[in-house]
Amino acid sequence: MKNTLQKTLAGAIAALAMLITGCGPSQPVLNVYSWSDYIDEGLVSDFEKQNNCKVIIDTFDSNEFMYSKLKAGAKGYDVIVPTSYMAKLMFEQKLIEPLDLSKIPNAQKIDKLYLKNLAFDKTMKYSVPYMLGYTCIAYNKGKLGKIDNSWNVFSREDLKGRMTLLDDMRETIGAGLFFTGNKINCVDPAALQKAKEQILKWKKNLAKFDNEVYKIGITSGEFLVVQGYSGDILQAISEAKDLDMMIPREGVSISCDDLVIPVTAQHKDLAYKFINFVCDPKNAARNMAFTCYFSPIPEAKKYAKGFDVDMLFPKSLYTTGQLIQDMGEKNKLFIDTWDEIKLDQK
Amino acid sequence: MTKVNSRFTSLFVTIFVIIFMYLPIVMLVTMSFNASRYGGKWTGFSLKWYETLFRDHSVINATMNTLFVALMATIFSTIIGTLAAWVLNAYKNSNVQRLHYGLIYAPLVVPDVLMGISLLLMFVSLKVDLGLTTVILAHITFCVSYVAFTVLARLQDFDFALIQAAQDLGAGSFRIFIKIILPLLLPGIIAGAMMAFTLSMDDFVVTFFVGGPGSTTLPVKVYSMMKHGPPAIINALSVVFMAVTFTVAIIGNVLLRKKSSPSRAVAQH
Repeated sequence: MKNTLQKTLAGAIAALAMLITGCGPSQPVLNVYSWSDYIDEGLVSDFEKQNNCKVIIDTFDSNEFMYSKLKAGAKGYDVIVPTSYMAKLMFEQKLIEPLDLSKIPNAQKIDKLYLKNLAFDKTMKYSVPYMLGYTCIAYNKGKLGKIDNSWNVFSREDLKGRMTLLDDMRETIGAGLFFTGNKINCVDPAALQKAKEQILKWKKNLAKFDNEVYKIGITSGEFLVVQGYSGDILQAISEAKDLDMMIPREGVSISCDDLVIPVTAQHKDLAYKFINFVCDPKNAARNMAFTCYFSPIPEAKKYAKGFDVDMLFPKSLYTTGQLIQDMGEKNKLFIDTWDEIKLDQK
Repeated sequence: MTKVNSRFTSLFVTIFVIIFMYLPIVMLVTMSFNASRYGGKWTGFSLKWYETLFRDHSVINATMNTLFVALMATIFSTIIGTLAAWVLNAYKNSNVQRLHYGLIYAPLVVPDVLMGISLLLMFVSLKVDLGLTTVILAHITFCVSYVAFTVLARLQDFDFALIQAAQDLGAGSFRIFIKIILPLLLPGIIAGAMMAFTLSMDDFVVTFFVGGPGSTTLPVKVYSMMKHGPPAIINALSVVFMAVTFTVAIIGNVLLRKKSSPSRAVAQH
């Protein structure tokens, strides 16, 4: 008994020691912190071969968690992929560093229109846009026929209990703001009040507010109209023939995830190479095919095979789409409105 | 009449419980063979999610990390936890042990977020590089409490006269430990170790905060996959896990039966 115990202990300590010392740093390692399934694995191994390095990708599931972890002092990551509003906050908090664009020649290929019209970081001072997505509506064309592209579809009482809106404070209030003629980052209490009243009218017709199950519900036919994220919706549509999508004319929110380098990065050269690598139009096209999100590199269109780039992100969104912005202290207005919407029992 | 009735009731309850417990699992297994990405509709039998799963290095990596962390955390927390329980029981009336009790009790009631962030702050201020090592240390921290309390419960029924008897008969302290204390405490220790293993396997919050580059575990990966990845891979992975767990449980059961069968045979005669 004692012997086995000793052996196990010795084994455990040896394993731990191996872990601490690592297996010998023969190759440089690039640590990427990103969302799950957000880059084509083939691209990663290409990059590893080209630069004789190893890429380790770790994943997070919310910008806020990632931010609090970094703010508390976690380090070791070389490239991070936060959403635009978070990248802005991280830069203001000096968690990420200004970029040296001369090391990212491919950054010149990023769509100027996107930078001018939509981006927060218009000169790519601290971030390079990676993937764009938007919020839209998917519906069951087989049962409903073609429907008018408006948020007003949620007022249809004949679809009561067969529709869902997102369970996402900013996106859902945003839908109400758009429909009542305001912008997504509007913090005017009167406008928010109007948006709230509108959403409460819609709420009576909804099955629920939902972020995950709507993808299953819309493909199975349980839900007929859902608000959702473009990547998910496009994937659902490619699978189920009766589905179609529409982009409400009143406006939609778009979101962009950016590539940034934290100030604590230990392999900055490799990080620059990686950012340049994913901004290469050929690689961007492969990534679009893999994720169903849109890369703001117009040249990538040439290399896109088997899918329509304009479907991923219609050109019109450059003028009608709006990026969600972190409102700092005014966030409280959104939180209060959202609580009132969720708690309302009528 | 009443007999028939009660038999009917128990049958009804059994069936209901079986459906309640196993229907979700059956659904999960079925859906893992569904060709559809979201599994809303049956679009045909397919093994493609298993194929994707076994080709997906990140998922395999995360699984290996999870198992390694769970194993390490279980080994160390079982040893530390058992020792802690022994001391807590032996010196019940000392003030130091009262403080010790409080310290052991704390991780059971402290919210995960608080624990995660405070451990992170500690590691950062000690300039420890975040990674699997910090994750293991954090898991040991909260697993120790669970092991200690399970063993402590076992110790409360412990008959200390047995130790005195052994001493009277001339056994040394090491022999007493091996022949008496360990066998009697073993069920508690094993129960504690199993609990530690399970807790470590599915911890998300603490792991997220104290993890560093290359230490993504399965729960962290799965949460992130909910956002972008195909959920069907997770179904396939759960089925693989379940198959492994069931096999281990069945083997364990068979082994136990083999061991206990001679004594049972004697008892029956």
